[in-house]
Amino acid sequence: MNEKRAAAYRLSATVALVLAVLTIIEYVAGVYWPSPVVLMLLALFKAVAVLNYFMHVSRLWTAEEEH
Amino acid sequence: MSLMSLGLVRGLIGQALGTLAGLFLVTLIRVLAGMDPIWAEEPAWVTGAVLGVIGFLIGVGALTDWAKWTVGIPTPLHHGPPVGKPAWVRYFSVDYNHKVIGIQYGVTGLLMLMIGGAFAVIFRTELSRTGLQFLSADTYNTLLSMHGWAALMAILLGIGGMANYLVPLMLGAEDMAFPRLNAFAYWLNVPSIVLLMTSLFFGWDGGWTVYPPLSVIGSVGYQFVFYSIFTLGLSSVLGSLNLIATILRMRPPGMTLFRMPIFCWAILATSMIQLTATQLIGLAFLMVSFERLLGMGFFDFEKGGTPILFQHLFWFYSHPAVYIFVLPGLGIISEILPVFARKPLFGYRWIALSSLAIALVGFLVWGHHMFTSGYAEYLRVPFMLATLLVAVPTGVKFFSWLGTIWGGRLTFPTPMLFVLGAISVFLIGGLSGPILATVASDLHLHDSYFVVGHFHATIFGGFTFPFFAAIYYWYPKITGRMYNEAMGKLHFWIMTPAFWMMSIGQMSVGVMGMRRRIADYDPALGVEFGHILVTIAGFAIAFSILIMIYNLLHSAEVGKVAGANPWRSRSPEWQIPSPVPEHSFAAPIAVVGEPYDYGLPNSTYIRMAGAAGDD
Amino acid sequence: MSAATAHAVAAAHAGHHGDHHAPAVDNYKEQLRNNRLGLWLFFISETFLFGGLLAVRFFLWGDHRPELDQFIGLLVTSVLLLSSFTMNLAEKGMEHGDMKTFSRGLLATAVLGTIFLLGVLVFEWGLFPAIYQGHLTPWDNVYGAVVFAMTGMHALHVLSGIVFIFIVWRLGRQGHYTPQRHWGVEACAIYWHFVDLVWIFFYPALYLIGTPVH
Ligand SMILES: [Cu+2]
Repeated sequence: MNEKRAAAYRLSATVALVLAVLTIIEYVAGVYWPSPVVLMLLALFKAVAVLNYFMHVSRLWTAEEEH
Repeated sequence: MSLMSLGLVRGLIGQALGTLAGLFLVTLIRVLAGMDPIWAEEPAWVTGAVLGVIGFLIGVGALTDWAKWTVGIPTPLHHGPPVGKPAWVRYFSVDYNHKVIGIQYGVTGLLMLMIGGAFAVIFRTELSRTGLQFLSADTYNTLLSMHGWAALMAILLGIGGMANYLVPLMLGAEDMAFPRLNAFAYWLNVPSIVLLMTSLFFGWDGGWTVYPPLSVIGSVGYQFVFYSIFTLGLSSVLGSLNLIATILRMRPPGMTLFRMPIFCWAILATSMIQLTATQLIGLAFLMVSFERLLGMGFFDFEKGGTPILFQHLFWFYSHPAVYIFVLPGLGIISEILPVFARKPLFGYRWIALSSLAIALVGFLVWGHHMFTSGYAEYLRVPFMLATLLVAVPTGVKFFSWLGTIWGGRLTFPTPMLFVLGAISVFLIGGLSGPILATVASDLHLHDSYFVVGHFHATIFGGFTFPFFAAIYYWYPKITGRMYNEAMGKLHFWIMTPAFWMMSIGQMSVGVMGMRRRIADYDPALGVEFGHILVTIAGFAIAFSILIMIYNLLHSAEVGKVAGANPWRSRSPEWQIPSPVPEHSFAAPIAVVGEPYDYGLPNSTYIRMAGAAGDD
Repeated sequence: MSAATAHAVAAAHAGHHGDHHAPAVDNYKEQLRNNRLGLWLFFISETFLFGGLLAVRFFLWGDHRPELDQFIGLLVTSVLLLSSFTMNLAEKGMEHGDMKTFSRGLLATAVLGTIFLLGVLVFEWGLFPAIYQGHLTPWDNVYGAVVFAMTGMHALHVLSGIVFIFIVWRLGRQGHYTPQRHWGVEACAIYWHFVDLVWIFFYPALYLIGTPVH
């Protein structure tokens, strides 16, 4: 059980880290090379990560155990 | 029993108190901050309006259960009329039964229809002669603007009535997916109506479209309109959310999406628009409100804004809104036609998908309201083409109806008459549409009475006639008694020709040069006779609706007992007693066949568990 | 789907008419799925609200933007991102019966959310000139107007999210949730993430896209 829990927290941290890296890339891109398309694409990546890992959108269509 | 046991009364008191609190709060803040002058109309009334709505919701009790949840008190759903009070009390209080809420919506809708109609009849009378007879130009403008929003409220409420009452019954479901949210969404409408009626007191003159800059510089009455419609919009969003969840999640076993009663498809498509597009009109109205409050220059050229932005936001909702208004009605037509033709609905899937297609294409056409606005010219033709595209799925519906009627064994009780009337009137509206969608002719007809004729035909054909058909058709299910057929037919035979006359009259005075939204016109236009005809028709329609109201009230007392299924329908709601008991279905239902196989031998749509054979 | 629904219908009816209680598990599961769908439909609706604000920004500003403090922008964005992480930890804590992480995660999220709000009020809005002299007002031009509209609407959602967090935190401490049943926690968490999601698009739209004007 503890194993599972630790893995869950690790996944959480990994996603947050990826988001942080993307945000920094976004910032640097915004300052030096502010292409709207690139910036919106980066935002889209972040959004997909949040939708998938944090908002677990897939729970809408997968019947799983109770939560 | 005291008046205070009526939620409605408590709500109205709550709204009054909330409004006073808002006025007081803003004034207090201004005193404390040493602002001059102490009385500031705009922020005071806006805060009052917002707190008034909250006050109403608290007073009526629409928030009580949720408030208890936040501190962990469970609130089991109460079923049946309130304990120790007369049964009718539940219609004036928060009640979670979808059938009660459906009636609440429907009756409020009829009430608003009459109020909105009364405004129209008053200013219509003024128009029957050139010159100003008994209204000032300002009063005329206010009445005209009020007519617009009161009528639109009536439509949204009427749709809410049909959807709330019928959808769970048609799905064989116990109730909506979220009963509390359902009640909350209904009760938002009442403070919204109060706000709209308050705006009458201040006067406002922008028409229902309330374009800036007029709506920025006009009286504080506009603010009441904005927050009234914002509240109404919130109701739309939450109500449609509930309906979508109900349709997607509460269907009985065997009822695939393509085996639902067709009305549910119409409501699904309508709700998809309501859920999304409504946010844009809410945003637009908030933005004007804050331009007035804080001088935020969204629509102000001097600050870098533009009024055209408002038109984009407004029509992004308000064009699709037309489909919100008519899709349920078109669904009613498709629902009722096969019953009285005793034939399968022609092209069920095509009708179902055409509703979705209309809803989706409807999002891409808003710019056809703006051909003369001064927006970029290259936008005109794409918007024109997209608009003309709407004629395709609409045409699909028309031909499906014709195919259903073709070779049927038709009978013509009042609901069927209204369905056929709806088709004829909608045809007038439909055929005048492409003329306005075409840039060249629209530049000539824009803001003329032709437009008035067009959209009244669309709305009467797509909403009012089908709504009346629905009222007559489901009246025996709701009350257990039959309406008076002779009076129903009288209603129809007054209203339909009168409406044709009104429509053709409005369009022809428009073509002759009559502009919309003006209190007076030049006698040299030669439109006076047309206006007299339109006014007479307006009065005839109003009178015929009064006949219906009398019929509905009277027949509830003396009408002959209708029985469970007077129309021999296959739909689930007709397989249970009339009036529908508190728990609609005594046993779960299962779907085993197609919904509209009328006249086909040995075909069964639903089976009720535990019930004796139903085929 | 249909089998599950049949169970739910049966359960609902047994609950109303029979003396014995319907199998509560089925009811809860069905209601949970309804609730999830309902909340996501609400998000779809809200997406049109925030999408409308983005459309307003691009319509009025085009490829320009006001000069905003880049450091503050990055800071509040990072704070909100961090709050999403702590919120996710809180939810996972609840799922795995780790009440400490649940409780602390929620509190951390509320604190970070409050810092974000203060950042907006103090630095973007310049409400407290004693601390920070803002240079935008809602009434001067459309640059200020749109900044205030977008951040204001978003801040309203952050604020309601913080209220939501406190309600859930209190109920959680009182033992209203279990690892198996905690729709309230899930709803609060994904609502918070949705508010973060909005900012993911608002941040570049407000701070990064377009050439700054003075
Ligand atoms: Cu339109």
